Amino acid sequence: MKSNELRFREVSENADSQLVKIEINHLIPLPSPYDKPQVSAWRELDTDQHRRLVCNLDGFIAAGLPVPQDAKEEQKYIDQFIIGLKKLLSRESNWTFLQPLLLSLDFCARCQTCSESCHIYLASGRNPLYRPSFRSEIFRRLVDRYARKGGALLFKIRGGAIDLNWTTISRLYELSYRCNLCRRCAQACPMGVDNALITRELRKLFSQELGWAPQELHEKGTQLQLKVGSPTGMKPKVVKDNLDFLDKDFSEVTGLNIATPWDKSGADVLLLPGAGDILSFPESIMAFSILCNAAGINWTLSSEAPGYDGVNYGLFYDDLQFIKIALQHARIAKKLGVKKIVMGECGHQHKAMMAVADRILTGELNIPRESSMTFLENLVFSGRIKFDPERNNFPVTLHDPCNIVRNLGIVEPQRRVLRYLCPQFREMNPHGVENYCCGGGGGLSLLSMANFTNWKVNISGRLKFKQILEAFSDQPEPSVKKYLCAPCLNCKLQFRDLLEYYGAKEKSGIYFGGLAELIVNAMVDLKNPFITWGEY
Amino acid sequence: MFWHIIIFSICGIALGILIYRVVNIARLPVHLRWELAPVPHDKTREKYGGSYLEEQEWWKKPVRKSIIQPLKYMAAEIIFLRGVWKNNRSLWPFSLCLHSGIYLMIGMLFLCLINALLIAIELPADITDIMAETISYMALISFLTGSVGAISLVFKRLIDHDLKPFSTAGSFFNLVLLAIVFVSGAVCWFYQGEFGDLLSLFLSKLITLEVIRVMPLTFILYVAISLLFFLYLPVSSMTHFMIKYFLYHAVRWNDKPLNARMESELRNLLAEKPHWSAAHTGTDGQKTWGEIGNGVRDEKQ
Repeated sequence: MKSNELRFREVSENADSQLVKIEINHLIPLPSPYDKPQVSAWRELDTDQHRRLVCNLDGFIAAGLPVPQDAKEEQKYIDQFIIGLKKLLSRESNWTFLQPLLLSLDFCARCQTCSESCHIYLASGRNPLYRPSFRSEIFRRLVDRYARKGGALLFKIRGGAIDLNWTTISRLYELSYRCNLCRRCAQACPMGVDNALITRELRKLFSQELGWAPQELHEKGTQLQLKVGSPTGMKPKVVKDNLDFLDKDFSEVTGLNIATPWDKSGADVLLLPGAGDILSFPESIMAFSILCNAAGINWTLSSEAPGYDGVNYGLFYDDLQFIKIALQHARIAKKLGVKKIVMGECGHQHKAMMAVADRILTGELNIPRESSMTFLENLVFSGRIKFDPERNNFPVTLHDPCNIVRNLGIVEPQRRVLRYLCPQFREMNPHGVENYCCGGGGGLSLLSMANFTNWKVNISGRLKFKQILEAFSDQPEPSVKKYLCAPCLNCKLQFRDLLEYYGAKEKSGIYFGGLAELIVNAMVDLKNPFITWGEY
Repeated sequence: MFWHIIIFSICGIALGILIYRVVNIARLPVHLRWELAPVPHDKTREKYGGSYLEEQEWWKKPVRKSIIQPLKYMAAEIIFLRGVWKNNRSLWPFSLCLHSGIYLMIGMLFLCLINALLIAIELPADITDIMAETISYMALISFLTGSVGAISLVFKRLIDHDLKPFSTAGSFFNLVLLAIVFVSGAVCWFYQGEFGDLLSLFLSKLITLEVIRVMPLTFILYVAISLLFFLYLPVSSMTHFMIKYFLYHAVRWNDKPLNARMESELRNLLAEKPHWSAAHTGTDGQKTWGEIGNGVRDEKQ
């Protein structure tokens, strides 16, 4: 099959074969020294994975759907899918996104302007499977056929050509996890149609009706957070112990007296961090602690589950899980009587609490919420802490997390900080609201089943990696240490995988971290540099 | 009175369907926020697409909104197809041709209506003649650009490997119908001459309910085809010219924080009873969204 000749009917055919094959040589080239494709690191699925899991899409597995036992089970899921389609169009079951969904379904001009803006489609060498419009169009035709009055006629007029069978729904399910939900396609669409929204609605249908969702987002994500407090599995006592240890450790290293406050009633600020930072990037949470204490901010963390973990993976795939977690976060803040909630450096958390959940936080739950970008900017320019920008005199570029920048319009505060504190700050191109996703958005940075990391680092993260290299192209040698500022936990997880895979530290001297760490690194009061250029 | 009955009926039906569709969309429930930068109504941050959420303690400050900026944004989008220019340049010239033809035809019809009124009130012929000539030239450009745009898009959808898989019977029907409208207009223009006079007089007799005498065949064909198109328009996806308002203003640019009016509607929506089958949702058609969201966490500390 030629890469530009994928027909819609093929989605329903050849159940046991892969729909497309991704050739590493078709991907867009990267600059030297990454221009030779790393074929040895391109992992194929093994026999056991082929036996246990549905592997009929593109040779990768993100969602990990088990092979059904028999035709009866397949039919059960098909029937549920049809019921789910109807529920998505109903007010009582889907008022949350009904208007945007109907508008996006009915007014696509099918002009493919969206595809030209999609980093995944472009990076793959324009593989038609990854067009934002491809999965949307399949979904649209199925909605026409099974969920609308006069469906059969509408189906024919609007293209038809898709059978609804096990093959179709299993491929659609996996395909719904080939999108970062970054909404660059929606931004480009002259109509305003939102393919990322359609993808999310697809994921929602599978989760809320069929009970299908990647375990990293569901069982080990939202369910674990609702059960114990955090997808990391950390319960309140463990979190407090961990932070206590970090406080002592970093106090020793920095010469500052770091003490994280817990459960202060009536504090001005409740910081809602990503608990994943505590385990994976502890310098991030410590940096916040140092800055808040140094600036004399009356702040607190919450030890009540899930108040110490601001993530909300429901944003990626399930409205009901989303609402449960968002309401809990707000209730905890209300109980503490804080004046405002400040989001940690976590993109989807920003979008979840500052925008999407805004309309369900009614009455007393409507506690003011502020971005850490704004909070940190105010802190830096308040005059309460002395900084020496020369301490950050190394190349720095900024990755714009989609959920903070494109989805919320928070663009400049972090840039004002970087322009002040980083003499060698340079932008990527494009940047700001037109940035490219890191490749881990939409929850994908959390998915690591089988060979999916291969897909993320080679395809969804490819354009971003190219951007990073181009931003540092004036000083490419590894001896010059370069800092990729990524103020988002999930983006950092993706960058860890991406930069490790390509050996970017060894070959190009590229490191990554958040914004708070850069700010602390410039503090005059610090004995030693905060940024240690260590292991990822 | 044949033409009067036909035209007024068709206009009434078409307008009725259009209003029905728009009202149905407007009445859909308020949804969760799903805005997307750049949101051009922010007065001070429009250049880079920033929003009021950048502001420290934004809830204590008034949000300064611009009326002009969104209009400028939409004007560039609608008239020059800015999004297509930026992201899909190979499509842009064809789409611009078609849309220019449509806009000129709308402008031409509007001028025609004015001229028809002027004729009806028996304004001096000098003025109405100048108007008719302007209308003629507008019509010519409209018919030519529209024909070129519509026909070229038909071919583009047939041969372009990016567009072909996505082009449906509906897409082709819309384009072919548009092409027929423009081509029939062009045929009438070249065959009949004095198109502006013809159309102005026709509309004038419609407005004054006077008897319309025998019209030239090419003109009848143009009017008949245009009426068929107008009847079809509100049931087609070409109503995106109206719906775009909702996609932009109700969704993409709808960054309004929760207010008292919205809260009242949202409390009603949170009282709706969803019914999803997956066990983890805890929905059975009996519990409300609010009850599900406030469910007690199964905690073991």
